[in-house]
Amino acid sequence: MKVDAADYGGSLMKEMKRVLIVDDAAFVRMAIRTILEKNGYEVVGEANDGNVAVSKYMEHKPDFMTLDITMPNMDGIETLKAIRKLDPSAVVIMVSALGQERYIKDAILNGAKYFLVKPFKEENVIETLRKIVGA
Amino acid sequence: MEPMLEMFIFETNQNLEQLEQITIHSEKNETFSSDEINDIFRIMHTIKGSSAMMLVNEVATLAHSIEDIFFYMREKKPDNVECSALTDIILESADFIKEEISKLESGSEANASASTLIEMTKTFLKELKSSNGDESQEKIPKELKKKQQYYIGAEKMATVTDNLNVFHAVIQYQEDCEMENIRAYTVLNSLEDAVKEIHYLPEAILEDDDTVGEIRNSGFKMWFTTTKSYEEIDKILQNTIFLKKLELKQLASLEECGYWPVKKEIVKEVILEEVPIKPILAPKKVESPEAAHQTMISVNVTKLDVLMDLVGELVIAEAMVTQNPELAGLELNSFHKAARQLKKISNELQDGVMSIRMVPLSGTFQKMNRIVRDMSKKLDKQVELVLIGEDTEVDKNVIEHISDPLMHLLRNSIDHGIEVPDERIEAGKNPIGKVTLEAKNAGNEVIINIVDDGKGLNKEKLLQRARENNLIHKNEADLTDKEIYSFIFAPGFSTKEKVTEFSGRGVGMDVVMKNINAVGGNVIVNSEAGKGSIITLKIPLTLAIIAGMTVKVGKASYTIPIVSIRESFRPIEQNIIIDPDGCEMIMVRGECYPIIRLHKIYNIATDVTKFTEGIIIMVETGKNKVGIFADHLVGQQQIVVKPVPVYIKNISNITGITGCTLLGDGSISLILDAVGLASRI
Amino acid sequence: MAEEINDFDEDTQKGKFLTFGIDREVYGIEIRAVTEIVSLQEITEIPEVPDYIKGIINLRGRIIPVMDIRLRFKKAFRVYNERTCVIIVEVRDLAIGLIVDEVAEVIFIDDHHIVSKPEMKSVQNNYIKNIGKVDEKIKLILDCEKLIHAEDEELLKNI
Repeated sequence: MKVDAADYGGSLMKEMKRVLIVDDAAFVRMAIRTILEKNGYEVVGEANDGNVAVSKYMEHKPDFMTLDITMPNMDGIETLKAIRKLDPSAVVIMVSALGQERYIKDAILNGAKYFLVKPFKEENVIETLRKIVGA
Repeated sequence: MEPMLEMFIFETNQNLEQLEQITIHSEKNETFSSDEINDIFRIMHTIKGSSAMMLVNEVATLAHSIEDIFFYMREKKPDNVECSALTDIILESADFIKEEISKLESGSEANASASTLIEMTKTFLKELKSSNGDESQEKIPKELKKKQQYYIGAEKMATVTDNLNVFHAVIQYQEDCEMENIRAYTVLNSLEDAVKEIHYLPEAILEDDDTVGEIRNSGFKMWFTTTKSYEEIDKILQNTIFLKKLELKQLASLEECGYWPVKKEIVKEVILEEVPIKPILAPKKVESPEAAHQTMISVNVTKLDVLMDLVGELVIAEAMVTQNPELAGLELNSFHKAARQLKKISNELQDGVMSIRMVPLSGTFQKMNRIVRDMSKKLDKQVELVLIGEDTEVDKNVIEHISDPLMHLLRNSIDHGIEVPDERIEAGKNPIGKVTLEAKNAGNEVIINIVDDGKGLNKEKLLQRARENNLIHKNEADLTDKEIYSFIFAPGFSTKEKVTEFSGRGVGMDVVMKNINAVGGNVIVNSEAGKGSIITLKIPLTLAIIAGMTVKVGKASYTIPIVSIRESFRPIEQNIIIDPDGCEMIMVRGECYPIIRLHKIYNIATDVTKFTEGIIIMVETGKNKVGIFADHLVGQQQIVVKPVPVYIKNISNITGITGCTLLGDGSISLILDAVGLASRI
Repeated sequence: MAEEINDFDEDTQKGKFLTFGIDREVYGIEIRAVTEIVSLQEITEIPEVPDYIKGIINLRGRIIPVMDIRLRFKKAFRVYNERTCVIIVEVRDLAIGLIVDEVAEVIFIDDHHIVSKPEMKSVQNNYIKNIGKVDEKIKLILDCEKLIHAEDEELLKNI
């Protein structure tokens, strides 16, 4: 596909659209996916488990990912650490519920750049994403 | 239905089922293992989250309060836990949530209040805490660090070098964005590489959750030195998510900083002083369905039905091509070869589609645990449920029809059959009653047995009730046990004097029979007074497509399911025997079996009436074998079973015929049922 | 010959009846209940059904039972010929085909011209809904619902 040089400059920012969604609840994955796809993002994969998340991350190398904190087997923080170890530039949005401040702190300390709180409103999600894309 | 709602309902129901299983299991063991605690916590957490998103707030709050209980149990590992009471709370809450979900499913509003349940939960948690010596709140006790304002005297400015810019920034967050303290921390993070030294108020943003309020009121204030320009800093800070207002001022010197504690360390060493609460959850149990999740997808059943119908039509169409009368007698080797290949592929396709629809009975069986538990508790009986063969698979459609009947039969067994412990001891039985649910494959059918070791059916009582209801149409002495027992399936029949919450209304058993019949199955009751009862359900694996052998009788075609056929041959005179009553029998390898003349029982005109001119097809009826006499064989093929038109079923009960099918040439063949035929002799 | 009745609006179908004759009587069926009319085709006999049920036919993959109206109303059987046709009627998802000597026409009967039937005991009377009068001629309007869903009566007979 030929890309005009002029387009490149502006659209380079828009290129950051490939996302990996990680959450053990199919419902939440669907909710996030709906919002993302509606706003032009491309969901390259989903994972319901930390281990799967890591392998899918390496497989797809998304531009960024959403990561739930509470998951079985390998929880959010562990997954975050694992992924950041494999790719220190990984952009991770932690997804948490109200009352999980301590985990968010942990996550930030371990490299998560942003976080979303459930239940999320679409505007908040989009704003967060725009900030990331613009970063 | 909106996909989000559908997914929410589906997932929540799945979670609730899992929750029930775990809970009942824990109750049996009289303790909650740490795996179980984690699982229940996670389930409640998920339900809380998704129901909040779907605005089903009562459910969300309820789930939250149960989550709190299990959070406590996970962190503190208390010794004194009243398992039974907790189980009751969980199950009652699960029921509440189930109710609300089913309201949503049927399009109504989920508006019931969970306040009583929530109260109960909170009380339980309070008592749990106090009985384990823990009066404190959940929150880690925080030491309020007093804000120390240092006013920097001019003499201390020596630290500033000339190349550094001094800035003061105040960030105001949008309302509702939550966790402002953490967000403030992320701002610090984003400035990390850009600043030399930074100080901020409030200070204890990570340690103290109260700082959230401070930030909300007066904003997050920062003072820092940097080599970056105003524009650069502004760009970084403008990128803050949920930023409402940014005040960025360049200061002339450190003196102008409202807050610049000299003694403090650089913010980069962040102290995380709290007890690290590990969000790590223990590895899951082996049997959990979670592991299997990754290789499965959920498919809308209607899509499968459509697929099934198409495959059925493909089979018919394939037959209409390959068996087209216009091809009769032609030499078509290449065509036939291709046709065989086509047939092979459509057969495999058919097998594949049918297997997709097959679902193991385990889901249904597991639900029975809850029923046993609830009923034993309410009736003060002790019942052990044994499940055998839950891996047995059955067509999805069929599962839906047998789920309710199974539950009803199980309830009956426990309510009517199993006696109270005292009675059982008196009768020399183990005080714990046993109910066994067993499923197994038998050829083309699935057999499900519900066995209880209770007091069995009382023939006298049954007869009496039957008399009262005018159900006896032949001499009582001639009634077999089976016939007496089958009275329980008559509508409105019940020998219970009292109507209990579970049974006795007499509307159950006939509905059971109806539901089982609706999928082409049968219910057989057997019992022994004092010892127990066995109810057997026989259900065809699938109604849709079967292999059949077509035979001709005069001008009519009949098809016999291959699974029932043992062999077929042209009989010889010596093997035909007529017994003293005039019944015609065929001898096969030393055994005698009755013959059914199709043309006679169905009154069909045919020239072939001598056995030696036709063929005999030996079929299995489950109990014995029978020989069916027809003119000649036509051939074996896959046929799509179509039910006998309802209109005809309504006006006439034709024993021996279970359906019809369309043959390749467009004609209709009636499908014979060995068991039905055998019952006519 | 196969005619299909077009899908009219409910309203436009109201008051329209398909008529056919048996001996000297003319019967009418509400167009709404009629899905199509086909010529007689091969009938597969079914054992152990009342004599008026001639069997079943294959209608483009659907298996439909067919009933001889004459026999149903206890009249003499008439051999089928090339004018004999089958009227497929469907009520509440149950379909049957009515074998009639020949179909006459579709007529319109105004509500005013419909009167209730006289009370009489006869097999056929059960299936007559009411009576329509057109040009001094009487049309017996069949109650398809009863005709098709007459389960109770028959079931009782079979016990």
